[in-house]
Formats: sequence, C-alpha cells, structure tokens
Amino acid sequence: MAQSGFDRRRINGPEESFAPLYEDEEAQDQWKVGRLRLGRNPDNIRPIFLQPGLIDQANGSAYIETGNTKIACAIYGPRQSKNVAFHDKGRLNVELKFTPFSCPKRRAPIRDAEDRSIAMAIHQAILPSVRLETLPKATIDIFITVIEADGIEGCIASGSIAASAALIDAGIEVFGLVASTSAAIVGDDVWLDPTHEEASNSKGTFVLSCMPALGTLTSLWQNGVITPTELITCMDTCEKQCAEMHAVVAQTLRETVTVS
Amino acid sequence: MSTTAVAEAATPGGSKEEQEALQASIFQRLHPRAYLERFLAEGFRPDGRALDAWREVSVNTGSISTADGSALVRLGNTTVVCGVKAEIAEPELDAGARGFLVPNLDLPAMCSPRFKPGPPSEDAQVLSDRLTEALTSSGVLPLESLCIHPGKAVWVLYVDATCINYDGNAFDATLLAMVAALKNTRLPVATYDETTRRTTCSRKEPRRPLELGRIPVSASFGIFDSNQVLADPTAFEEPLLDTTISVLLNEGSGELISVSQFGLGSASCDALGVCIAQARAQGKRARI
Repeated sequence: MAQSGFDRRRINGPEESFAPLYEDEEAQDQWKVGRLRLGRNPDNIRPIFLQPGLIDQANGSAYIETGNTKIACAIYGPRQSKNVAFHDKGRLNVELKFTPFSCPKRRAPIRDAEDRSIAMAIHQAILPSVRLETLPKATIDIFITVIEADGIEGCIASGSIAASAALIDAGIEVFGLVASTSAAIVGDDVWLDPTHEEASNSKGTFVLSCMPALGTLTSLWQNGVITPTELITCMDTCEKQCAEMHAVVAQTLRETVTVS
Repeated sequence: MSTTAVAEAATPGGSKEEQEALQASIFQRLHPRAYLERFLAEGFRPDGRALDAWREVSVNTGSISTADGSALVRLGNTTVVCGVKAEIAEPELDAGARGFLVPNLDLPAMCSPRFKPGPPSEDAQVLSDRLTEALTSSGVLPLESLCIHPGKAVWVLYVDATCINYDGNAFDATLLAMVAALKNTRLPVATYDETTRRTTCSRKEPRRPLELGRIPVSASFGIFDSNQVLADPTAFEEPLLDTTISVLLNEGSGELISVSQFGLGSASCDALGVCIAQARAQGKRARI
C-alpha cells in the first residue's frame, strides 16, 4: 500500500510498499454464489463473547468478540464540555479507530471516510437510548478500537452492542439496552451476521438496531438492492435475533456490573 | 486533615467501611504525593506490591488472523496489542539487501483520560522512538534477512502496537508485545521474477518464521523522592517520579544492551546499580 507522504510524528517506512501478491489462487475450496452457507445456517449468528469493564482507566468499557471481529470500547464521561457554548442537553461523541493490522490489507494510521461512517452509524444506533437531557453541559466520549474486522456490517452491529454495554458499565442512565444485528441478502435468502466475504458477494446488506426492552427501533441501515418484501422479512428476523441477544447481554451485565 | 471534613460532608450516609474507602480515594486525588509517601513509609505501594515487585505478565500470541504475527500483552492492567503486517518494497539505493522494520506505538484516547484523540501525542512519539532504538540497537532482526532479491525487493515489517488500557510502564509492555509478535510472525516464501520484474509469493510452500537474533527484554524503574526505587511503576505513580530508568537486557545471556534515564539525575543511592541488579533478577524470572 502506498503511504501518503512523510509523517514526522511517526516512524516511517519506505515511501511505497505493497501487500504481497500470490501467484496461485487460494487453495481452499472457495465459496461461490448460489451455494449453501459454509459453517452455519442462514439465520445463525457467530458466537458472541462480551466482557464489560476490562479497561480500568475508563469510566465504563466493554470488549466484544463475534467470530473474528474483535472490538474494544471505552467510555469517558460524563465530563465537562470544553470550548462549546451552553447546551441544556449533553453531547455524545463516538470515535472509531481501526488498528493498522485489523484488515487483510494494512491500513495506514490516517483517519479515513470509513472510520467516520461507522462511527456515525453507531452514534445513531445508541443515541436514542441515552438520557442526554439529564446531563446538561456534559460530554460523553465513546472511543471504539477495532482490533480485527470481518465485515463492516458486523463492526457496526458489534460496536453498537459494545457501546451500549459500556454505557451501562459506566453507570450512565439509558432507556434501554441497544441490541443490533446485521444481515445480507445472498441469492433469495437472508443471512444473518455476514462475514466480509459473504457481504461482498451479497445483493444488499442491512443493519438493524433496536431496544428490545421497549420494542422500539433506533436505527436502520440499508445498502444495495433489497426488495420491500425482503426488507420486511429481514427486519423480522433481525428483530427476533436482537431480542435473543438482549437477554444474553443483560445477563452478562447483571453478573459483572456491580451497582454502587 | 482537611480532607476528612470534605469526605464527611459528601457522604452523610453509608457504612463506616464505605466512608473510609471514600476518604482514602479523596485523599489520593487531592494529595497524591502524600498518599504515596505514607504507603512507601510502610514499605508497600498503593496496589499492595513491595517496592521491587513486578505486576503479573501474560502474553497471548497469534490471536489476530488478519496480521502476519500478533501478540497481546498484559502487564498488570496495562494492555497492549501488537500486530505485524508484512509488505514488499524496493530497498534503499545505498542498502540494496536490507529490509525495513517500522515499529510504531499508538496511545489512543481510549486507553487513558490523559490522552486526547488526534495525531500521536508527545508521549506516543517519544515511546515509538525509544522502541525503535531498542529494537535496532539490540539487533533483534538482522535487516539483511528480510531481503527477497538484492536491489529489487525486500520485506517491510510494519510492527504496529496499540495500547488498550494504560496503567503505566507502557514501554516494557510494548517491547514485550512487539518482540512476541515478531516471534509469532510467519512470512510466505517470495520470489522475484527478473523478466516480469514482479515479486510473487507462494501459498503452497509453508510460511517461515523470522530469523531473530538477540531478544531484548526491558525493565523500567522509577525513583521517588531520590532514594526509593519502584519497579514497574503504575499510571498513578508515574507522574510523581523524579527519574525513570529503563534497563535493556539480552534475554538469553543477561548482558546489558542499553540503559536509559529520563529526569533528574540526583539519585542519592546507587540507583543505577540497584536497577540493573533487579532487572537481571526479573529477566531470569521472566524466562521461566
């Protein structure tokens, strides 16, 4: 990958370097469009591991792993807003960073458009759940680091769950826990929680975030070609999955977070 | 102490134990120096360690599948993830057979309230520089071993570390993570084709580990009040220290590679000698 210029704040490598090229195609039997899903059923998600409170420097934190996707999230705040005019509502900042080794191709440590669009998606997913009106003049900073990514949709979904769990770990008032599920339309089927490869071979992708405890949706993200009927099926399957996930996340939080 | 009154005013209710814990934490916030002094007077540190004791170290390698080599290191609560990405580049004109080793440490805003989001902070720049110096001066990886075809193609190893939780002594933790990630790195077999001028790798041949030379291990100490030597300082202790001393040793033989000192040099005791002796002892323990 070409490096864009010289950055004197970092240790620099050569001006240009490229990811290795392989002469032979991947030896494994590759999945092709039209075949059955490898490894799991269309409505199965990858196993989730969630651990709240790993980062002791932060007010609240959570680490989530779904398959190969590994995301750490830390919350600082509510703390005083700096350099901003008076607000009678609190502010919620979401910042997301990919580690340089998180993707098949190295990411130079520069903020790009993808970081921001995922951060915005997560912001939208959790914003309706936070009681910002109780925190005038304050800022809540949510920092998310993607240690390893497998599918952008999965990053948004796992990131939202981690952020919501971390908010609760930080003891910040919320209306409800946010659960989030991603899906892809592959052929005529709805495949939940697609990997990077599955999502790039799909017609369209979809991320649904909701608060199952209140029965309300907080955000929907849809990309690509999806017919209205498919979209409704998609929403139904995702919502059911979110409800299941909500129970598991709530149980984990009950076991680990101590009320003080 | 005036803090007692503050604590009592803040908590009208609560059990006696809770009140005492709250008083202690308020005291720690308001008078960090006096707080540390009182612990040290008893021969202990706020986290219960003796002055020369180290926090528990755990290393987990190879958990990141998108990296060519990776390691996660926990030193007490300090957590660092490191991943190695290998790419191919043209070598420098004056050193046609030498590859590149590019270590960088990122201290993102998530790891501590001290750090702000944005470009690398001064701390991160200084640490990255010290890590590069430690890796090159120890000769952990002879750069000639990264040559694919002299003058045409060499490997570039980007060794990127990210701190997830910053609780002091990031230098030791990161160096350990970087070395463990390099040990875990496997490179594909690459060949340069003179006619097409392309470098291609093979998936059929098994990946090979790096030819590592001397393995550096570092031990950092802080000097408090110019006579107390604290091993492996935490984030709470670090800002109160006059001096920080890092001793870099060769893991195998225990010989010194470098010693660096930051801050005031007016240590009344033989601090350097004590640090080096403790570093040797710690190095031996780490190997077992």
